[in-house]
Amino acid sequence: MAATLLILSIAIPWFGALVVWLAGDARPRLQHGLAVAFSVLAGAVAVALLPFSSSQILLSIPVGGAFGDFTFAADGLGVFLAVVATVVGSLAVIFSVGYMRGEQQLGRYYALVLFFIGAMVGLVLTTNLLLIFFFWEITALCSYALISFYNDDPKAVAGGIKALIITQLGGVGLLLGALMIFSYTGSFDLRDFIAQAGNIPQTALAVMAFGFLAAAAAKSAQFPFQTWLPDAMEAPTPISALIHAATMVNAGVYLLVRFYPAFAEVPGWRTAVMLVGMLSALLTAIMAMVATDLKRALAYSTVSQLGYMVYAVGAGGLFASQFHLMSHSVFKALLFLSAGAVIHGVGTRDMRLMGGLGQKMPFTRAVFVIGALALAGLPILNGFWSKELVLEAGLVGGPLWMWVVMLVGAGLTACYTFRMVWMVFYGQPRAKLHAHEAGAAMKTALAPLAAGTLLTWLLAGPFSKLLESTLPLHALESHSTLHYLEEVALAPATLIAMVVIALGLAAWWQRARLQGLVNALSGVARAAADSFGFEAINRGIVRATQNSAENLRVTQTGLVSWNIFGIMAGLVLVLVILLLGA
Amino acid sequence: MDATTALTGLILTPLVASPLVYLFGRLAARAGAPRNPARWLALVVLAAALAFLFPAGQAVLNGSAVEVVDGAIALRMDGIGLLLAAAVLVLGLLVTLFSSPYMAGEEGEEKFYALLVMMCGTMVGLGCASDLFNLWIWFEAMAVSSYMLVAFYRQQGASLEAGVKYLVQSAAGSALVLLGIALVFSQSGTTSLAAIRAGAAAGSGPVLMAAGALFLIGFGVKTALVPMHTWLPDAHSQAPSGISAMLSGVVIEAGLVALLRAVGALAGVSTSWGLLLMVFGAMNILLGNLMALRQKQVKRMLAYSSLSHVGYMLIGLGVTVGFQLAQGAAGGFFHLLVHVLMKGLAFLAAGTLLYALHLAQGSHHPLVADDLNGAARRYPFIALVFSLALLSLGGLPPLAGFMSKWQIFVAGVQTHNMAVIVLVVFAALNSVLSLGYYAPLINRMYRKEIGPVVEMGKPVPVVMAVPLALLALALVAAGFYPALFGWLVNPAAASLLVAFGG
Amino acid sequence: MTLNITNVAVLVVLGLFATGFYGLLAVRNLIKVVVALQILVKGAMVALVAAGNLTGQLQAAQSMALTVIVADTIVAVVALALAVQVRRCIGTLDIKALTSLKR
Repeated sequence: MAATLLILSIAIPWFGALVVWLAGDARPRLQHGLAVAFSVLAGAVAVALLPFSSSQILLSIPVGGAFGDFTFAADGLGVFLAVVATVVGSLAVIFSVGYMRGEQQLGRYYALVLFFIGAMVGLVLTTNLLLIFFFWEITALCSYALISFYNDDPKAVAGGIKALIITQLGGVGLLLGALMIFSYTGSFDLRDFIAQAGNIPQTALAVMAFGFLAAAAAKSAQFPFQTWLPDAMEAPTPISALIHAATMVNAGVYLLVRFYPAFAEVPGWRTAVMLVGMLSALLTAIMAMVATDLKRALAYSTVSQLGYMVYAVGAGGLFASQFHLMSHSVFKALLFLSAGAVIHGVGTRDMRLMGGLGQKMPFTRAVFVIGALALAGLPILNGFWSKELVLEAGLVGGPLWMWVVMLVGAGLTACYTFRMVWMVFYGQPRAKLHAHEAGAAMKTALAPLAAGTLLTWLLAGPFSKLLESTLPLHALESHSTLHYLEEVALAPATLIAMVVIALGLAAWWQRARLQGLVNALSGVARAAADSFGFEAINRGIVRATQNSAENLRVTQTGLVSWNIFGIMAGLVLVLVILLLGA
Repeated sequence: MDATTALTGLILTPLVASPLVYLFGRLAARAGAPRNPARWLALVVLAAALAFLFPAGQAVLNGSAVEVVDGAIALRMDGIGLLLAAAVLVLGLLVTLFSSPYMAGEEGEEKFYALLVMMCGTMVGLGCASDLFNLWIWFEAMAVSSYMLVAFYRQQGASLEAGVKYLVQSAAGSALVLLGIALVFSQSGTTSLAAIRAGAAAGSGPVLMAAGALFLIGFGVKTALVPMHTWLPDAHSQAPSGISAMLSGVVIEAGLVALLRAVGALAGVSTSWGLLLMVFGAMNILLGNLMALRQKQVKRMLAYSSLSHVGYMLIGLGVTVGFQLAQGAAGGFFHLLVHVLMKGLAFLAAGTLLYALHLAQGSHHPLVADDLNGAARRYPFIALVFSLALLSLGGLPPLAGFMSKWQIFVAGVQTHNMAVIVLVVFAALNSVLSLGYYAPLINRMYRKEIGPVVEMGKPVPVVMAVPLALLALALVAAGFYPALFGWLVNPAAASLLVAFGG
Repeated sequence: MTLNITNVAVLVVLGLFATGFYGLLAVRNLIKVVVALQILVKGAMVALVAAGNLTGQLQAAQSMALTVIVADTIVAVVALALAVQVRRCIGTLDIKALTSLKR
């Protein structure tokens, strides 16, 4: 039963992808309907898998050799993320019915979305390292194809290829780590590896640990790979919500949590993880302060919140990071989708042209504000509880100065969130935009997410029980929801955080008076707008590669005698190597 | 049928039938037949050869190499021979099918099919040669038929130019091989590969080492090892598309097999063979990728990408030769087989577009990247399979190219040798770099604005789509279940390990 | 170095290969390039026969050499046919003019 559900949760979206593609672009209504049906069905199957969570291998397909047996297990961590992927996935698909109405090439769009959902489920449910890499790459592939969905827009094409290449570069770290693990343990099963990690030589284990960290950072758009995510915002907005906020970017955090027991003892690894999380959280929070594009601002905030999760993992707060991941998936999907409703309504992403949209779009404003409050970390929304748990874990497991930096980040978060809300929904309209409220399909997708933002924190207890009981190697503790609420509410750290967040809010309200400070920080703002120079480094590498490729082309002279010279040069080379070897 | 008869039949069928294909085709063309029967004859001949392959292959898979010795002719089919024969015949069949509309009405159509059959036959023979001099003869016969196929459009200056360059460089290489054979003969007095291997293990010397170098370079020209690769982009881009697929899919790999056979006989002479293969592998990967990165002609870009894929194979094979790990050769041969599928598919799909957009309108203009704009709108199936081929070449799952590269990398890391692990990382980074030229092509095809060239395009005959569908299906299947070709790949790897004294 | 038959053969082979490669590198006329290729193969053939003489397998070497002559003639014929066609279509035999395919 459980094995069947597990297969179905991957197979249904993939089969759906094929069906929608075959349905043909001539019948868009049918395509919308099929996509919704398959994604909702996948979500139902994934939820049905929840009660079957266990640490046991559910399914094993013998392949052997250099590929290992293809094994799958539905442990708490995996099933939880599978549920997030399929449920948020189905909401994003429902939203797309309204958002993508009248677009061309819907078959390609829905096929890729469904293909992505299946791959994401596979990624979190498999225990075979090859398959992890396999699904990892498929999600990157779908992400690339969907970012470049508007193929006539050179920015979309460039953004897609950039995302693909950066995540692939990081993927090399995962590849190397996985291969090293196989060469030392003779098995591709990650549970074998975690169990025997102690027997592996320290240097080799360190290569694996840092390789995985590089892969995770690239996938979750963490420092120093953060530049691809803002450019990925050229994708249709439901994609940004699904792939670039709620699911795929979590894969990096997932990887770190999954392998935490094996790598925690590697010297310097935990500090490096915390550092990556902290730098990402802080730098992108600053960038979000100056962004003028609504989706880019949200993208920066995604990187920043992922930074909190990564930081929590490094500090040993695995539950806190996963809990924040849950909250973030819900409220960030809500924010992105309601931003999508705004963009669909007004036809621009530039916040400087918006303003005063609240009157024309009251529903959208209401749900966006709920999401924003959660992002800012105000009680009693889900973002508040999880962020406080993250900060608490950081205080316990990490150095104090990092905790202070993360607190500052939380203040910045509150500030840029309110800037965003204000620029979009309040104040005077700054341009003549013909706004219209979200349609029925969009509202259908937004309402459950808003409800989730208000309520998912109640799941803290059951969620911790699920993780604790099915991840024996992670040595987690579980408590009741009430315990967590008390813990957060009574901790003095929470009070400090609330003060900082309030300061962040106050800073936004008092922005006119703070103009002097803003001017003083204008240098930082300029640097932030240019991604602190990482953009330039990126461009430099690309240009250097392209130039050397262009310059190398002269070696193909087309002259026969030059070709013969190649033979002679090769002969000399071989003879030299042979003589050196002799 | 017993295995030796089957092997004889397998080798003889294409060689004997090739002139007949020409003869019948010529007569039919003279009689003014509207559809030249040479294509169907070629199809039947290759299918018959494939039928002979089954009993022979069965014996090889059961663990016993099949031998036929008649006077100076010595044939021995082992795992490597079987792999090459299967790849050649399957791709040959698909290419023949593909070419029947593609080459329809070309001047000298019957010559095309006769030469194609001949080339397939000689490659099967090359894979089974167990004598050094036989190997050279098969190699030379294969080369001659491929020269004529590359320069098939003999009214086209560019096509002739490519043929001339290919011939000169390749012939110079085969002269070096012949000198190497003379050197080996002067030391061991025999040309039997097994006897040479037995002798070379005991008394090695600089003469045999020089002979090994000559083999590596001479056969390396055909395998397109950098820096002997310069003929390849010209030949692959100018040949008729079916032949481009054959050249890239099996001919350069046949050169690789010849190289392994000849150098394998001298395995005991030096310990550097594995290192050499890996050095060439690294150079091929890097140069192939960089040269392809800024290339605007589609077929030329695919040709450069062949360079880099040979590089991946060399790394896998080098691991086996240098470290006696069968995994490496299994990965290398798996990649060889997958390369047959994906590069065959890529060239055939590009050929289909070339046919629809230019050739069917009587133009020999090369297919450039800009021509593909919006191709998915008019040719959704062709665009899809071409994208699959390109993604597989770039090593993305769930396609076979990912799995074969994975196996090579696994083998590399299993050596626990720092330099090889660095090489693996280098190869993986290059695989990422290669997406920099594959992905933009896919983007172009899926653009919504149809380019003017696609607007004017002609419809694609169904017959051309059939081989594409089959190849794409195999690519996806092996991508999901990588053990699919294990039965074919693992015996080949075992044979290589035997040849290099494992 | 004594002047026995093997040493003479070695010198001849080296001379032929040097001439052949010099020709391939320096000559511009396509027909002469084909001649240079022929010189290379002839050098290899001399080496083959000398190797047979050295190991007492002269007959085997000679039969191989005869086979090489046949194979090599076919290559030469194809090469010359190509050259004729090049002259007809492109109008020159200068290999420096055959550089439309590059980069």
